[in-house]
Order: sequence, then structure tokens, then C-alpha cells
Amino acid sequence: MMSSAKRDHYLALTIRTIAILLFLLLWYLAVKLEWIDSMFLASPLDTLQHLIPVTRKAAPDLYATLTSFSVAFVTGVLFALLVGFVLSISDYNRKVFVPLLVLGVTIPKVTLMPLFILWFGIEQLPIIVFGALSAFFPMVVNVLSATGEVKPNQILLAKAMGFSRLQIYRKVIFPAMLPVLISGLFYACNAAMMGVFIVELALARHGLGAFVHDLAMTFRTADMYAAVVLTASITVFINMALWYGARYFGRWRV
Amino acid sequence: MHRVPPALTRLALILALLAVWELATRLTSVNVILIAPPSIVLWEIVRVFAGLSVPDFYLNAGITLAEIAVAYAIAAVFGVLMGIAVASSKVIGDAFEPILLVLYAIPKIILYPVIVLMIGTGYASKISFGILVGIFVIIFNTAAGLRQVEPNYVRLAHSLGYGKGKIFFKVELPAAAQTILSGLRLGFGYTIIGVITGELLVVNVGLGFLIDWASVNYHTAQLYAVVLITLAIGVVANLVVSRLERRWVR
Repeated sequence: MMSSAKRDHYLALTIRTIAILLFLLLWYLAVKLEWIDSMFLASPLDTLQHLIPVTRKAAPDLYATLTSFSVAFVTGVLFALLVGFVLSISDYNRKVFVPLLVLGVTIPKVTLMPLFILWFGIEQLPIIVFGALSAFFPMVVNVLSATGEVKPNQILLAKAMGFSRLQIYRKVIFPAMLPVLISGLFYACNAAMMGVFIVELALARHGLGAFVHDLAMTFRTADMYAAVVLTASITVFINMALWYGARYFGRWRV
Repeated sequence: MHRVPPALTRLALILALLAVWELATRLTSVNVILIAPPSIVLWEIVRVFAGLSVPDFYLNAGITLAEIAVAYAIAAVFGVLMGIAVASSKVIGDAFEPILLVLYAIPKIILYPVIVLMIGTGYASKISFGILVGIFVIIFNTAAGLRQVEPNYVRLAHSLGYGKGKIFFKVELPAAAQTILSGLRLGFGYTIIGVITGELLVVNVGLGFLIDWASVNYHTAQLYAVVLITLAIGVVANLVVSRLERRWVR
């Protein structure tokens, strides 16, 4: 006799599998029965068949996107750490700057894209700058709230117990901040990817965004769906890598 | 120094930045196509509102705002309903949440070419993209809010003889309101970003069209003016929604 928790788990798994299969079937039928013209929608089988050749063809663009993304992500995050820690030194600074930085997260920064193209040209630079800016704001807001997580009493206690300055940083301050910093990294990662793809699509010269754009423009529909699936898988993979990385580095906390 | 209110310091900083920007463009030989001084941009904003600067400003702004309103209405209603569905039973939550999380992790922007290919370049594609960008945070916050409702409240209401519907509307929903409302606020910001991104990538009407028009024709002052107006719409919309959120939570 299965426990009810286990039964629920399998039930959920079954429902999920059926839902995904239903979606694929609907997708297949939409093309097969011509609900949607095959010029605009490729069937799941065609998409799958095109996946390997498209991946091979996309290799240089994939490389361009990954380099733009990595540079943008790392720059944005490092800059956010720097600015965040400098601003967190005094409570007054925090009060002055936090509303501005929060605004930086919520406003539609994408409107600045034409200006960035004006300033930084049409090669990889505007892609990187926009990606870095997209990563910067959510990260810096999280850095500032992470520094707020450190309780003054804990530092006092650590001092009373004779911890050195370095030890306080390593054993008290850093562990307290880590969860918020990690969630900031996730936001920053996704924002950077979004930023990179937006400018790539708009410029249509470098990277996967440009690759997808070209395929859409020339109505190579199956190739395009394959490229979208490829891009989506890569972003999911990056997210999972970040997740496992965060768990690996956070394992001592428990 | 610490007696100065933070808001005042913030204002002073912004003004100082504008002054530096103005002086830098006036005193150095930076190309006027690249950077317009704030005084000229400000004058251009006045002219935009007077209808003298860019083609059909009110029509285009109206279109963008209407797209945002429609997209947000749909995202809010369906987001909350889907959140309720996901939180309604553990099995349904376990079945669909992994799918939603994977979809959430994909930068929606790569689906935009697919949307445009399938439903065309008109309003519908921008609205759909706005919904797609905005809806996930609403779903997740609604589900999270409902899940963190203290089970004792529900038990108490049950023992007081409340029916299922009454428990939901009188106990669970109010208890989850704060998290749901903050999801609705974030979702609103994302929807705006989605619609404007859509307009900028497939240009035909709206504020996105005006930005593109100004940038393609190198009308730099107009470009800065329309960009600032669009950003200001985002800022004002966010302020209004946070205000509403704070009022409702109380």
C-alpha cells in the first residue's frame, strides 16, 4: 500500500505529463489540420528534426550571446556589489539612494535602447551595456537589503566572543547576507539575459537574438522554432547551473 | 548634514546631475546628435505636450496606454485565477508549478518572434507579450499568499460554521491580500515593460513608434523627450499602484 504522499506525488507527475502531451498534441494538430498556416507554425516533429542542424548553424551566434551575457552579467553584478556596499555604509545614504535604485528596477529601461545604440554603436557594446544595466538594478537593490539582514546584535556578540574582524566578516556578516545576495543573482541573471536578447533582436547583427530574427524574417519557420527551443533550453540550463551552484556554496549553512 | 531630509538630498543630487549634463553639453564639443542638453529636452517635452513636436503624440500615447490597460487587465484576472487554482490543491500545485517555473525562467523576449509570427504585428501581439511578461509574478504571488495563510484561521472559521466559499472570500483572500497585491504591483511594472518592448521591436504605432521615429531621423531632442515621457509614465504608474496597494492593505 502506497503512502498518500507518494500517491499524490505520482498523481501530480501523471497530470503534468498528460498536460505536456496534450499541449504537444494540440500543437501537432494545429499544424496538421491547418488551424494555423505552416508558414507561421512548425509542428513539434519538424521542430525536433531541425534542432540539431540549427544548433550547429547557430554555434557562432551562441558563442556571441554567451560572451555578451557573461560579460554583462559579471560587470553588472560586480558594479552592483561595489555600489551596494559603498552605499550601505551609512543609513542616510541608504535612505537617499534606495528609492532611486528601486525606480531603476521598475521603469521600462528598454526605452533607453535607442539612446544606447546612438552612444555605443551597433556592434556588441550596446548589447553588453544594456545587459549589464539590466543586471545592475535588481542586484544592487538586493545587496542593499542583504546588508540590512545583518543584525548589529550578532556582530556585538561575535565581538564579545573575541572574534577578529575577518572572522566577523566570514562567520557573521557574509552568512547573514548570502540568501538575499543569491536571490539577487537570480534576478540579475534573468534580467541580463532579457536585456541581451532585446538588443540582439533589435540590432539583428550579433547573437542568438539576431539568428532568431533572421529566421523569422525569412519565414524559415521550423528553423526558427528550433532556435527558440534551443535558446529556451540554454536559459533554463543557465538557471539550473546557478541554482546548483548556489546550493553547493550554501551547503554549510544548514 | 544628517538633519537634511533624504528626499531633499536626493532632489539636490538629481539637480546637480542635470547641471553637469547641461554644462557638459554646452561647454564641450560633444556632438548634438548624441546628447541634447536638459534645457532643450525640457522645452521639447513642453512642445511634445503642445502637439508641436512629434507626429500625433496623444494618439500614439493613447494607443500605448490602452494596450497596457488591456494587457494588465487580462494578466491580473488570469494571473490571480491561475494562482488560486495552483494553490487550491497540493496535487494540482505539484503538477503545474514546475511547468510554470520553467516558463518563468525563460526570458520571454525570445518568444516574441513566435508571437508576432502567429498573431501578426498589430496590437494583439504587443498585448499578448505584455501579458506574458506580467502574468507569472501575479500567479506565483497569489499562490504563495494563499499558501501562507495560517491554517488555524481556516480551522476556526470552519468550526464557526462558515461554508467553503465564505471561508475563501472572508478569511483566506484577505489574509493573502498583501502578497497578492504586491504581485499585482510587480506584474503591472512588468506588463508596461512588455508592451513597450513589443512596440520598440515591431514598430508601427504607439510611443515605441515615436521613439523609433525620433531615433531613425536623428531628432535627438525629440528622442530624449519621448524617452523621458515614457519613463515618466512608468514611474507615475508604479507610484499610483503602490499607493493603491498601501491603501488596500490597510
